[in-house]
Amino acid sequence: MPLTRLIKFFASLRLTVVLLGLGIVLIFSGTIAQVHLGLYKAQNEFFRSFIVFWQPDNVAWKIPVLPGGYLLGGLLLLNLVAAHTERFSLTRKKAGIWIIHMGLILLLVGQLLTDMLAHESTLHLRVGEARNYSESERAYELVVSDVTDSKAAQIVAIPERLLQKQGTVSPAALPFSVRVLTYDLNSALTNQAADGYDPVKVTGGRGTDGFWLKSIPRETVMDLRDLPSAIIEIVTPQGSGGTWFVSAYIGTPQSFTWQKHTYELLLRPERFYRPYSLRLEEFKHDVYKGTDVPKNFSSRLLLNRPETGEHREVLIYMNNPLRYAGETFYQASFDPDDQGTVLQVVHNPSWLTPYLACILVGTGLVVQFLSHLVPFLKRRRAP
Amino acid sequence: MNSKFSTKETWLMAALLALLAGLPAGCDQDGVKVYKVADQDSSAATPPTATAPAGMTAPAAGDQSAAPQLKWTLPDGWSQKAAGEMRLASFSAPGKDGQLVDISIVPLPGLAGGDLNNVNRWRGQVGLNPVQETDLAGLAKTISVGDAPAPLYDQAGTPPGAGVKTRILAVALHRPDMMWFFKATGDDDSIGLQKANFIAWLKSIQFVATAADLPAGHPDIDAQATPAPALAAGAPDAGAAPALPTWTIPAAWQSQAPSAMLLAKFTATENGQAAEVTVSSFPGDVGGLLANINRWRRQVALAPLADADLAQAVTPLTTAAGQASVVDITGTDAKTSQPARLVGVILPLNGQSWFYKFMGDATVIDHQKADFLNFVQSAKY
Repeated sequence: MPLTRLIKFFASLRLTVVLLGLGIVLIFSGTIAQVHLGLYKAQNEFFRSFIVFWQPDNVAWKIPVLPGGYLLGGLLLLNLVAAHTERFSLTRKKAGIWIIHMGLILLLVGQLLTDMLAHESTLHLRVGEARNYSESERAYELVVSDVTDSKAAQIVAIPERLLQKQGTVSPAALPFSVRVLTYDLNSALTNQAADGYDPVKVTGGRGTDGFWLKSIPRETVMDLRDLPSAIIEIVTPQGSGGTWFVSAYIGTPQSFTWQKHTYELLLRPERFYRPYSLRLEEFKHDVYKGTDVPKNFSSRLLLNRPETGEHREVLIYMNNPLRYAGETFYQASFDPDDQGTVLQVVHNPSWLTPYLACILVGTGLVVQFLSHLVPFLKRRRAP
Repeated sequence: MNSKFSTKETWLMAALLALLAGLPAGCDQDGVKVYKVADQDSSAATPPTATAPAGMTAPAAGDQSAAPQLKWTLPDGWSQKAAGEMRLASFSAPGKDGQLVDISIVPLPGLAGGDLNNVNRWRGQVGLNPVQETDLAGLAKTISVGDAPAPLYDQAGTPPGAGVKTRILAVALHRPDMMWFFKATGDDDSIGLQKANFIAWLKSIQFVATAADLPAGHPDIDAQATPAPALAAGAPDAGAAPALPTWTIPAAWQSQAPSAMLLAKFTATENGQAAEVTVSSFPGDVGGLLANINRWRRQVALAPLADADLAQAVTPLTTAAGQASVVDITGTDAKTSQPARLVGVILPLNGQSWFYKFMGDATVIDHQKADFLNFVQSAKY
């Protein structure tokens, strides 16, 4: 029966060995690729993909060369589950193996969840400054704000993931659609004609000031950030509301009016808002006496949460992050004048899974070892 | 029930289907976010581009920006003009034969494409060929923007069709989430006249923090870099601006400017010794009586009390607004390592907790404890 053969194939130990071998090749090549692609691009192309492609220079086609991380991880998970249904039976003798494998399954599922649910952002604060949001280091969002009510603006934030598809976005909160005509993930902008730059042609807003735009490759260096630009069209039920140029280079919102409401457009780093703020009270950069060698970086912050009345100081320093409300704030960097701090904010709902998985695997190893050791010792003692 | 599949196979297929169904669902994170933001935060600009007012110094950005502000000292002969486009500020400086030098400040998020892209853009503007990454170091001369070192690129050439040699002085200052470009453009001779002024102006630049976005209902935050009082984690020492009570202040006390988290602050001195009175208020019980008394105990280096010891440690104080709790402890100031006494009063009132603290030299507090308690009792909320 074909299904039985299929299950046998997925449950086979040979498949495990092949997958683990391919995993080693993938990790090695993905690590080497970071030299040229940079961390984020290499992660996306090798580990957050089903197939790794190779594209020769100056051609449009790509060749699949390796299974990607998603495919390998998924197949390993399937292989393990299939092996359990096909080969392993739950007996006392095999209890350790079962626990180890449950740990491995949890590890694989946990990493998938981390990949899907976790996000990182940064919070930059100068001394005396407070913020209730952090910003993505990589991703941008197009913000359409209804600022008619001067006391509370309604924000509609369209993530870059949607913008780069260059389609039409129709959020229910807006009485019009936003059609993305062009979206450059990284761009160079100038205010005079230059070689390789195309004039920006739009009907409204800052884009009419006279800009020349060039699409450039995405940044691969860790410290550098892409600066995207887009041309969008506001599409109302009555027709086009004009085309607009939005760009990370244009830091001020561009406003327009529709049906007596005033809206503002802005392309900015994606923001993650919180119901509390952190204010930087003090940043310390200690060095070993007589040297410039850093000894400690620490940020003393005031956490303020009006809804609960929480109002307390927290201290973040290296290896001592703040864990609060499901997020972790790490000391990541600081301003050159020591008057500002940069915190890395990690939101990872499945952060516990690797710990639990390791505990399971460790427990399984001990159980399996003991399940052999104890009978062995008993046999030795027997006359 | 007859089935074509065994139980094991059914389970396996269920697992596979769950995996296949879960993947695309989980991968779909393309959600449009909709939320309300109070006040000025509607779409606060990432790079500030507010127009700087005329004068010798100017803030860099409006209140909407969370970016640092800039201050500078303008060299003689420079004048500020409308900022425009991506600029934070623009200036004119006199050049040779009536020519003008255009000077600008442009802040951009991130590292704005890195130095190489920008240097090559500037080179393109003066008709020079692009350079490689390895050539950058040779082109840069390190100068100071304020106290921070930054590379100055001095590029001169004749753009096609221009006929005049154009020169650009440009500085790219890297800061954690913003790159600042300072640029002077003009003809070669005019830039030569203003180069020293440009470098001196850069040296005068200072970055100053600004206030930023706060949650709805968040108390105001002082934009200045005011050091907060030393607080123990878990409980605040000072509060966020409810209405100030009226009270009778002892004549010998001197009123001080309260720091950001305090409502009021006074100093009592005797024979060169001093003690400090601070008043603050917070919503809720801020951790409760025990937590706050233990916080005060830590400030005078005393071990925390257990719950059972609490009743003995506090004495009641009747005020017009209600029953308050008084604690009187003596130890060593945790900050200065000097002997210190602390008399604290905690008054719960209308969902707020009021904290009155009298801390400092033991003799001063001994003489003025009664005045302090009278002061607390005199408060009308």
